[in-house]
Amino acid sequence: MTRRRFLAAAAGLAACRRRPAAGEVNVYSWSDYIAPDTIAGFERETAIRVNYETFESQDEMLARLLAGGAHYDVIFPSNSLVGPMVRRGLLGELDPARLPNLAGLEPRFRNPPWDRENRYSVAYLWGVSGFVYNRTAFPGGAAAWADLWDPRLRGKITMLDDPAEVLGACLKKLGYSINSEEPAQLAAARTEAIRQKPLLRAYISAEVKPQLIAGDVWAAQLWNGDAYQAIAENPDLRYCFPAEGVAIYADSAAMPAGARNRDAAYRWIDYLLRPEVAAAIARATLFPTPNARAVELLDPALRQNPDLYPPPERLARAEWFTEISPQGQSLRDRIWTEIKAA
Amino acid sequence: MRRSRLLPWYALLVYLFLHLPVLILIAFSFNDSRFTVWTRWSGRWYRELAGSGRIVSALGNSLVVAAASTAIATVIGTLAACAMRRFPSRSNRALDSVLQLSIVTPEIVTGISLLALFQWVFRFADFGLGLDTIVIAHVAFSIAFVLLVVRARLAGLDPALEEAAMDLGATEWGALFRVTLPLLRPGILAAALLAFIVSFDDYVITSLVAGVGSETLPMVIYSMARRGVSPVVNALSAILVVGLGLLILAADRLQRESS
Amino acid sequence: MSSRLRFSSAALAGPAWFWMTLFFLLPLGIVVFYSVLSKGDYGGVTLPFTFGSYGRFVDPLYLRILARTFLLAALTTVLCLVIGYPLAYFIAFHGGARKNLLLILVVLPFWTSFLVRTYAWIFLLRDTGLINTVLIRLGLIRAPLPLLYNDGAVLLGLVYGFLPLMVLPLYASMERLDRSLLEAAADLGARPAAALARVTIPLTGPGIYAGSVLVWISSLGAYLTPDLLGGGKSILIGGLVQNQFTTARDWPFGAAVSVLLMAAVGAVLVEYRRRGGYAGGTL
Repeated sequence: MTRRRFLAAAAGLAACRRRPAAGEVNVYSWSDYIAPDTIAGFERETAIRVNYETFESQDEMLARLLAGGAHYDVIFPSNSLVGPMVRRGLLGELDPARLPNLAGLEPRFRNPPWDRENRYSVAYLWGVSGFVYNRTAFPGGAAAWADLWDPRLRGKITMLDDPAEVLGACLKKLGYSINSEEPAQLAAARTEAIRQKPLLRAYISAEVKPQLIAGDVWAAQLWNGDAYQAIAENPDLRYCFPAEGVAIYADSAAMPAGARNRDAAYRWIDYLLRPEVAAAIARATLFPTPNARAVELLDPALRQNPDLYPPPERLARAEWFTEISPQGQSLRDRIWTEIKAA
Repeated sequence: MRRSRLLPWYALLVYLFLHLPVLILIAFSFNDSRFTVWTRWSGRWYRELAGSGRIVSALGNSLVVAAASTAIATVIGTLAACAMRRFPSRSNRALDSVLQLSIVTPEIVTGISLLALFQWVFRFADFGLGLDTIVIAHVAFSIAFVLLVVRARLAGLDPALEEAAMDLGATEWGALFRVTLPLLRPGILAAALLAFIVSFDDYVITSLVAGVGSETLPMVIYSMARRGVSPVVNALSAILVVGLGLLILAADRLQRESS
Repeated sequence: MSSRLRFSSAALAGPAWFWMTLFFLLPLGIVVFYSVLSKGDYGGVTLPFTFGSYGRFVDPLYLRILARTFLLAALTTVLCLVIGYPLAYFIAFHGGARKNLLLILVVLPFWTSFLVRTYAWIFLLRDTGLINTVLIRLGLIRAPLPLLYNDGAVLLGLVYGFLPLMVLPLYASMERLDRSLLEAAADLGARPAAALARVTIPLTGPGIYAGSVLVWISSLGAYLTPDLLGGGKSILIGGLVQNQFTTARDWPFGAAVSVLLMAAVGAVLVEYRRRGGYAGGTL
């Protein structure tokens, strides 16, 4: 709780001015996605002020960016969005010479399939989407997505308020790929989601944590880092890697095309890549860090946690989120409206 | 008129319904525990509020925006009210309709329409969303409220006073500024207070047109309320409710002043 | 002010026209324009022109959303009327010297932060909220009741939010009632209930109409209450609009829904003004 309050307090030292002075950087990131002292440390060292604002979903971030007029300098798109954003001209190219700490990233994040050679983005934190559950409600433990369709849990389950995640879970439950664009498969996934809806308490993302901790919610689709933030405050909670498969994603730091404080942005991103800073973030948020040097600085108990740093055999059964084509996205968007309206 | 025995009790029940939830909220803002179990009196959540940079700056933003939009809307609305009274033309009736429409238009629609407008502007001019766009939006929906209050007040004024002033040699503008407006003052103040309240409390439209670093108090409350119940939100709500409540009482007092 | 600027309707009403045209009418016009464009990838609009967005309304899915919103708005209006009428009656006829105080007590909640008042219900209704905690402590229930995140909670929030909006016009029309008519009814031997049904209620028709119009329109476009109390599960029109402009990325459709919403509200307003409206107002 202290962490969260601090994060909220750290998350916005607003400036009334519209024209940014040279010593400012506007950052737009996920909520609860930074360590309490990260911003303060940066500000002390560089005398650049950090204006930190948060969002609760990628759609929110994208909508804000597309609506225009909000001038952020650093944003955190998910890997599946990087390609489409680049093609829409939303992201600016990064100059690797200005990011010396880039070398600290794990090799698979240095040249990832969604952004070869890190031309536009630099991995920040990654994670998997499974679900967290309260073991008092699941005496035999929970092991599969199908467990979230159990009628006994009516009113006590939540799913993420994110079409990609909900459809992903339904598709996996049916044995399909989370990135499917097949109309027939998506229609089947929609049916599953609508079947589950009467059992749901709400579609809600990271905001569900207080309810998990309080015991209002017994099972929630949630990312592993967020889940462990809740587990830290309620030992009855457990995380599940569903047998049908989980989704993996990575959030990267990127610079919007219209960024005004490019120098400050580069310094901020490079700062985030520093091993000790990345390690502090990993310790505070509990999300796995893609920074190899940072991982070495972590407590063995943390970096050997199979839920947070899945071993290879677990990762082999997981599937990365990838880009969806515009037509596929249209279809998915429409299906999401139908699910929400059902 | 026979007095019904039950009616007063019924009225009491309805009043409790209207007020208890917020009163309970305020009461629990003084609860030491963060859970809905009363432990003891404590001002710790208020202390936490004062120490939060985010909340303090949001409060500042809200005040700045409300002050600016109130000033502009009051001037525009008062002048429009005078126009409607003095020149009951077709175009002024049309203006009245437009303003009425602005009151009943759902906020979500007003908000996204303004966002769409600003988008176009940003293609050609180097602006961004910020406190100024919030002020523009707030003025747009406040004018109608100012008009409502000032017109009600104007209706009670005797036109003979203005005529007398002009007979004595004042120009029309002079009569307006030296006679009408001073007489209207309580109404104008009440209208200004109303505009201030409406601006301060707005969430939906503001959240859509706010830019980087221009978070207002309702936006903070909303974002914290989404994350669950927290006594800090209770404390913040208490301050907001009491503050706005006092302004309402002041506005009401002004409106009922010697007419 | 020198006499260089002619004292005219244009000078006085000009600023208002300027502001409302530029920042109210023009944006609405843009929305109407968007509603006949096509959806761009990942949001935004592009050519070609099409009425496809309006065509989607024949889909039973969206008709259901419209129907649910209209139904919820109607329920809210009826409940507000039923709850508010006796209260207005009490203030108007039994308020006596304290009428102003009683009125203020109704108006006060309405103007002090809709957001906070909605949040108050979250505080009361959630599983570990006050109501459930008290009921469990009293031993009346064993497990918390799911009071939040359903249509009932939304209805409660809407009625709570808009009740003052109904009470004020009702009160205003009751105030203007000619008391002598009621005395005449009593003199003619009518019992209180009959007097109420045959005299008071019909004569306060304008107030009922005004209050109902206000509450209905407000509920129709409500966004915040369903958002906070509904749990993101059920969409009403307001949420549909917001949804299309953010996650669903279909601006033309969102614009079309907005146009329809405005048409519904506008139609009610036009009809209301045609019937002479009511100067009871919201204050």
